Amino acid sequence: MERYPIIKIKDGKKYFFRFTLNQRIQHFILAVGVVILVLTGMPLKFSSASWAPYLYALFGGIKVAPIIHKTAGAILMILFFFHIVYLIYVIRKFYIAPIKKKEGKLSTVRVLKVLADQPLTPNLKDAKDIAGLMKYLLYMTNKRPEGDNFTWKEKFDYWAPFWGMVIIGFSGLIMWNKELATHILPGWVLNFSLIAHSDEALLAALFLFIWHWYNVHFSISVFPMGTVFLTGYLSEELMAEEHYEYYVKVMKKAGLEHEILPPHGAHGHESAEGGPSS
Amino acid sequence: MTALRRASKFFLPFGIFILIFLLHTPGNSYASDIGNCLLCHKYAGMSRVDEEGKMRLFFVNESIFVNSVHSKVKCEGCHTDITEIPHKPAKKVDCLVECHIVEPSTEKKFSHKDVDTFLAKSVHGTTDASGKPKKYVEDMPMCKDCHDEPLYRPLSFFKKVRPGISDAALGRCRVCHKKEDFIYRFYNHVTTRLHKSRNPLNIAEVCARCHDDETIVARHGLSTKAVFSYSETFHGKAARFLDERIPDCLDCHVNKGESVHQMLSHKNVQASTHEYNRGKICSNIDCHPGASPKLATYGVHSEFSLEQSPAQYFFTAFFIILTGGTLLPLMVIILLDLIRRFFPNATIKGRK
Repeated sequence: MERYPIIKIKDGKKYFFRFTLNQRIQHFILAVGVVILVLTGMPLKFSSASWAPYLYALFGGIKVAPIIHKTAGAILMILFFFHIVYLIYVIRKFYIAPIKKKEGKLSTVRVLKVLADQPLTPNLKDAKDIAGLMKYLLYMTNKRPEGDNFTWKEKFDYWAPFWGMVIIGFSGLIMWNKELATHILPGWVLNFSLIAHSDEALLAALFLFIWHWYNVHFSISVFPMGTVFLTGYLSEELMAEEHYEYYVKVMKKAGLEHEILPPHGAHGHESAEGGPSS
Repeated sequence: MTALRRASKFFLPFGIFILIFLLHTPGNSYASDIGNCLLCHKYAGMSRVDEEGKMRLFFVNESIFVNSVHSKVKCEGCHTDITEIPHKPAKKVDCLVECHIVEPSTEKKFSHKDVDTFLAKSVHGTTDASGKPKKYVEDMPMCKDCHDEPLYRPLSFFKKVRPGISDAALGRCRVCHKKEDFIYRFYNHVTTRLHKSRNPLNIAEVCARCHDDETIVARHGLSTKAVFSYSETFHGKAARFLDERIPDCLDCHVNKGESVHQMLSHKNVQASTHEYNRGKICSNIDCHPGASPKLATYGVHSEFSLEQSPAQYFFTAFFIILTGGTLLPLMVIILLDLIRRFFPNATIKGRK
């Protein structure tokens, strides 16, 4: 973690650390994989649509597109398992090991508490922030909620694909290996796998292309594209807009109290999320 | 000069007519057209309104016809009531008529009568097991309800490079057979039958004529619009993308080694789709070898219907609600956020 200073100053401007190179590579593989899977899967889901044969033909039609789809799916499944191992490694090394060193053996309750305190674990503040945002969007206040390290939007962006990967990956694996699967499971499981796979995929695709892309591409504050998924660092303005509580904490820790920007609600222009988190 | 002009005035249109006639006459009229029927039937607009008020087209596309399986049958072979030209309105063709072709293995005159015998005993027959006419007998298919004039789809198995006629294979035929027309036709005849004569989508479309007709489905008490539900499966979707390797209706509903005309009801214990036999369909060597018989409990004809598949209905409904329940609130937030940006500091009176 030392490789990534929390605040980097470039050309007199402050940039705040968000994602390691490892995380950025994971995100890149996930993003490319999902786009390929959507492009090779949706023509099959909507096979009677007029555009479907043309889009499918771009990927080699019925003889090649399913192979591309399965390859991309397999890569994402490997990525998912890597991510789980990575999560366990990071939590053990940076959260559990230091406590162990201090307190000795950890009880299960203590481990669960560590997990509950993880920056990406949903908590009560998220619910408060959602309520706060609704108040702000409905003109009941002109103060936007002051986000922590990861806002509810980012947690949503993380956990939605996480659940999606499990559902889509597992159902896809069953359909891919239907001969083996039906030695254990009844054939009608394939019907449910197809529904889960294709309907969850549509939900995931719409979620990513509407919600996630709005936050990281189309929102006025980041248009045409947030760069945090490439650089790993977020600009001070965007940091103050979405993660004000965390921003103040970080600035104080770095001894830069006198340079803290006022909360965005106090000054004119509003903006939204600065970068992808998943 | 005047006489010459008069003569030319008379002969010119006549000459043009002769010229057009010569230009339109095919270079080599096809051999089976002994009665020279194409003299008239080659014209694309040849049609009339019949006694029932239906527009009837009598045009015969020669280039298609010569590549069809009946191209060696002379017109009078099927249109037996036509004995003179010009002829009166012809009767509908009876596909069971004996035609002039001699079936080589028995040396008897060829007829489709055997097909009719198969069909009579099948699920599509007009009488039930006791010999009584079925209910709604008019819904049962006759030959032409499924068959149009089938075209040859010759197979090129020489190095499997492209579909169509293999010149290399034809070269082997020429070693013994001398007549070029025979070689070409025999090659077509044999190789066409070595693979499916139609692609799965065509087959499904033929079945859909009746099996996706809501009236027919309802009055025969069928559980599904069969082709519609098939088209929702991977097989059906792949068929729509013209995959020829994918199973169509006949691959499951016809017993191996039998003809489509022998298809039986799934209630018949001899049917491939009977619950006792169904397990063998999917796991056969050409499809999913090594699969468990349980694979065949996959619902090929499941529909999004509370009556037909309640569990799947609720499962699908869950995902629809999940999708709407997730996306609609998020889209509302996006919309409100976009509007809010025009009035960043506005609040309802009295609030901060």
